[in-house]
Amino acid sequence: MKTPLVRISNLKIDFKMEDGRYFEALKRISFDIPHHTVLALVGESGSGKSVTSTALMGLLPESNTVIDQDSCIEFNGRSVLAMSKKELRRLRGGDIAMIFQDPMSSLNPVFTIGDQIIETLQEHKSMSKKAARQKAIDLLTEVGLPNPESRIHAYPHELSGGQQQRVMIAIAIACEPKLLIADEPTTALDVTIQKQILELITKMQKKHGMSVLFVTHDLGVVAEFADEVVVMRHGEICESGVIEEVFRHPKHPYTKALLNCRPSLTYRPERLAVIDDFLQGEAYQLPANRSRGYQEGNPVILEVNNLCKYFKIKTGLFRYIDLKAVDGVSFQLQRGKTLGIVGESGSGKSTVGHTIMRLLESTSGEALFEGKDILSMSNEDFKPLKRRVQIIFQNPYASLNPRFTVGQILIEPMLLHHIGKDKQEREKLARSLLDKVGLAANAFNKYPHEFSGGQRQRIAIARCLTLQPDILICDESVSALDVSVQAQVLNLLQDLQDEFQMSYLFISHDLSVVKHISDQIMVMQQGKVVEMGDADSVYANPQHDYTQKLIASIPQNPQWFEANLAL
Amino acid sequence: MSQDNNLTLDQEKVETQVPAQSLSSLAWKRLKRDKVGMISLLIVCFYLLLCAAGWMGLAGENWRADVAVPNAPPTFATWEPRGTQVNTVTAPSGSADQVDDDNSAAAPDPLAALMAQADKHESQYESKTTKLKETLILGADGQGRDVLQKAIKGTSVSVSVALLGAFCAIVIGTILGAIAGYFGKWVDDVLMWFYSIFTSVPDMLLLLSFAAVLSRGISTLVLIFALTSWTYVFRLMRAEFMKHKERDYIKAADAIGAGQTRKMFRHILPNVSHILLVQFSILTVGMIKSEVVLSFLGFGVGIKQTSWGAMLAEVPAELIQGYWWQMLTVTVFMSVLVTAFSLLTDSLRDALDPKVS
Amino acid sequence: MLSYIVRRLWQMIPTLLGVMLLLFTLYTLVGGDPSYILAGKSLSAETIASIRTQLGLDKSLPEQFLIFVKQVLTMNFGTSWSTQQPVSEIIRTRIGPSVMLLLTWQLCSLFFSLLFAASVAYYKGSIYDRAVTIISTVAMSISILVYIIAGQYFLAYKMQWFPVYGWGNGFWQNFLLYIPLPLIIGVAVSVAPDTRFYRSCFIEEMNQDYVRTARAKGLSERKVMLKHVMRNALIPIVTGVMSSLPYMITGSVLMERFFGIPGLGNEILKAVNSSDFPVIKAITIYLVIAIMVFNLLADLLYKWIDPRVKLN
Repeated sequence: MKTPLVRISNLKIDFKMEDGRYFEALKRISFDIPHHTVLALVGESGSGKSVTSTALMGLLPESNTVIDQDSCIEFNGRSVLAMSKKELRRLRGGDIAMIFQDPMSSLNPVFTIGDQIIETLQEHKSMSKKAARQKAIDLLTEVGLPNPESRIHAYPHELSGGQQQRVMIAIAIACEPKLLIADEPTTALDVTIQKQILELITKMQKKHGMSVLFVTHDLGVVAEFADEVVVMRHGEICESGVIEEVFRHPKHPYTKALLNCRPSLTYRPERLAVIDDFLQGEAYQLPANRSRGYQEGNPVILEVNNLCKYFKIKTGLFRYIDLKAVDGVSFQLQRGKTLGIVGESGSGKSTVGHTIMRLLESTSGEALFEGKDILSMSNEDFKPLKRRVQIIFQNPYASLNPRFTVGQILIEPMLLHHIGKDKQEREKLARSLLDKVGLAANAFNKYPHEFSGGQRQRIAIARCLTLQPDILICDESVSALDVSVQAQVLNLLQDLQDEFQMSYLFISHDLSVVKHISDQIMVMQQGKVVEMGDADSVYANPQHDYTQKLIASIPQNPQWFEANLAL
Repeated sequence: MSQDNNLTLDQEKVETQVPAQSLSSLAWKRLKRDKVGMISLLIVCFYLLLCAAGWMGLAGENWRADVAVPNAPPTFATWEPRGTQVNTVTAPSGSADQVDDDNSAAAPDPLAALMAQADKHESQYESKTTKLKETLILGADGQGRDVLQKAIKGTSVSVSVALLGAFCAIVIGTILGAIAGYFGKWVDDVLMWFYSIFTSVPDMLLLLSFAAVLSRGISTLVLIFALTSWTYVFRLMRAEFMKHKERDYIKAADAIGAGQTRKMFRHILPNVSHILLVQFSILTVGMIKSEVVLSFLGFGVGIKQTSWGAMLAEVPAELIQGYWWQMLTVTVFMSVLVTAFSLLTDSLRDALDPKVS
Repeated sequence: MLSYIVRRLWQMIPTLLGVMLLLFTLYTLVGGDPSYILAGKSLSAETIASIRTQLGLDKSLPEQFLIFVKQVLTMNFGTSWSTQQPVSEIIRTRIGPSVMLLLTWQLCSLFFSLLFAASVAYYKGSIYDRAVTIISTVAMSISILVYIIAGQYFLAYKMQWFPVYGWGNGFWQNFLLYIPLPLIIGVAVSVAPDTRFYRSCFIEEMNQDYVRTARAKGLSERKVMLKHVMRNALIPIVTGVMSSLPYMITGSVLMERFFGIPGLGNEILKAVNSSDFPVIKAITIYLVIAIMVFNLLADLLYKWIDPRVKLN
């Protein structure tokens, strides 16, 4: 039995906080990474997966990290924790390489990409400048960067996100490392680019015979190309093993929960599975299928015709060009239904939502709400209608004023729209809404920073509910949340729609999520609508090239993955 | 409906017992843990009290009196003593004590009548002979005034000028910066034009220009400090308001129907107040230093007042003669406060925004 | 690039106009009637009236402003009210000493401060770091006046290592004999705040993601510091240096006064003391223009060191 490439045993890491207390990041974990294997390290935020990968390289900050004495990290039989600084430096970049989540900030902005690749080569292999330069060009060709001879002189900010990540990969494989650690390398990228990068990593792995430690929160991504998987939660390993085995027959309730709470493309349960469904110990019952779709002739609550929003960009002293963020978008939103707007970054989908709400001023077009065009109204006329269209933003950490208590956040809209006779009535309403979104009553006096991302989105939802809107725009509202939390929030949104008959505009780049919650889907690309139709038919039969490309980019789950859901 | 799964049900219960913590109270807790910061805070508070005492007349009031020998040394230093006596005359107290005159020699004096009259006037005044002190706690200046008293009064003047000036600069800079950053477009252009005017002229020149045309005094100092320093606050606040305006919580406030003023002052301002607090400290320190320089050059507080700068103005002449105690006093008084203030500023910054160490 | 420079020069005009308006307001509206000052001892009505005509004070305010504008455009501010020397000649002869002092001061300060700051940032958190920080803080709390007075007293008067004050005639005489003491004192004053600022620039860069990448590539800490961090930290440092140069004028005013250096700073102090408005106005305007041009150069330099900056 050959020694594994990496052996982690009994790894226990604590971090010292500013008030003197210790935070247990890793609570004695053990696992192996064999040679020539792709191992996925899966976990949600706070699971300790990033800490593990950083510890492997010996890169944790010395000042506040406490590694337990019994912990052991072995690379090719040698203990990493016992290495001298010099040995560690040879290890890094030479034997183990790492790529990170945000390539823009991970590359040095003032050096060309060529220089940064050459630097690695010269550090670990004594190469002449000329030879290193040639090798850099070869590497860029290998990772698929077009025009490498000229691009070698480019600065990081001149490249797109996908291209930057390719450069990071080139730097990483330059010295033929035995282990490549990829820490959420595709999370910040568009779906279509994501697929390309994953394919590139797989190709490199096979070609160079490396092992890959792929750290991610997204199980869907993992199923396609990982050999083994380790599932972590709260600093502990829940389950590990060969991927097909773990996915087919998960033993730990958390693994089961993770596998099931992701929206699927083939089945639409009435409620998505959440962690609690599995932690209780009872077997999980798959809910019935919910059918969605729309019929012509249903009451329409919002009709948008030829909406345009152009931004003026200065190109010269007196010259401007129009950036057509939204270019002639038309759709109809039926009452009580959900219209999903899908697109990648730059498609204009968020701009549509902002413009309808008059957060941005539209350039032309009309939006008919109950027959009246809300875009051309004066501010006074629009004021009473403002409360009927509300929005939930993407970033739960930015949409609540950190200086307000939750109570103040909920009561403010009531004050502005004269809801509730007096203070008591408003407070009562606020507390009842907190209950409705599933938060404890004492949240009323707390501040946003005391809550997690999912809880903050609930507060944001409660804020909207105070105004009893007819239309709710969800602008990537679940994109920043962990998969299990996402499922809870989606369920909440669905329950509210059922109860209050609200109509949703659900904007997202995540196709599975959109399919789960939408009746009708609109696909956008560069400001234009390229396809629109019933949710199921668009996925089953995409007409436009772009839609087909988007759907093809969704990580293809092997057959045994889908079969799981009948658990 | 289930809670967010990141907490087990038990942990959620424990959470409820802890009282709510605003960002300000968290910052205060962090500051309390910082020993250096707390000591600096104490020192600054002590100075502030001293300042207030000075204005209320509780300390340093008597600085104008010549109570000692000119250039009397401090009591803790060894020095050759010198002594003189001087007569001090006080206003009529009402009693008429006869002073015996030693005029028994009896030559007829043509001025006797006038002298008698003068004597009668003189007798209405109490004549006291005071011995001038030969040493004071911190010594005396060239006119025999108590250096300690002057230092206390000087503290009062220098510190309050700086505090007032900093406060005015912050108010002006914040309001203008908020308007420029929030509304943008032509309003921003106009205000930036103002900003560029005031920043094109170097601080010293601007101060001197104002000092050249306005009369001396404390209010002038406060005015010119405010007029030269508002630009730092303006630039900061403009950037902050521009940044916050694009944040989601402001868009959310917009969505629920909040108006401009509400968004600017009820929402954004509390989120930048920590920056203002740090700026206030920094500006105060800068103004203390500037006041010293200006008063030294003769453009600061008038002759009737004393300040650290005015005291320093007397120092070069004293040093040549070897009298070092006024310089030492002023330097120590000022240095302790400025050091404490600077350390406090650093601690405040760390407590309010604990990212970079 | 050229269009950028042209555009910037074009944008300077409203600012300059604004400064002129400000000065005009101060000296004409607030400053009071200078004819009494100039009349000197003879306070006869005719003298005062003739002086007012000479100065153009009998004209309307807009006309006076136009005269001011003309003065700026032709760079001719008339003669000094106290010395009757042409203002332009005063300025021409006084620039040299000021520049010599300022330039040497800034360069020396930059050199020492960078050295300190880099070393302190490298050993961040160590006793060395903390000691330097504390000493800097205390050093900064002492007024520049005390430095000058004490420096002059001890190093020149007592120790007689340097002349107490004065200025010579030749370049080398000035540079080697009269500049050193003010230079030493000046550097002592500015090293502390500069070191603190540069240190914070370094530390800010050390917390960036690309430093993590550099370490992950296996580079030594020294290389990470000197190559990656230093190069990026130069951007805010250069910005800081360029924008602080105009503010060194404060210090140089004091230096020139104490050390009897016949520079612009000394000149303007004399002018303010004697209410010599033409000199004050002229020096201010010249300095403002110099600073605006300097800022433009600074921005161009910025573009050169930071590839992300686009000039458009």
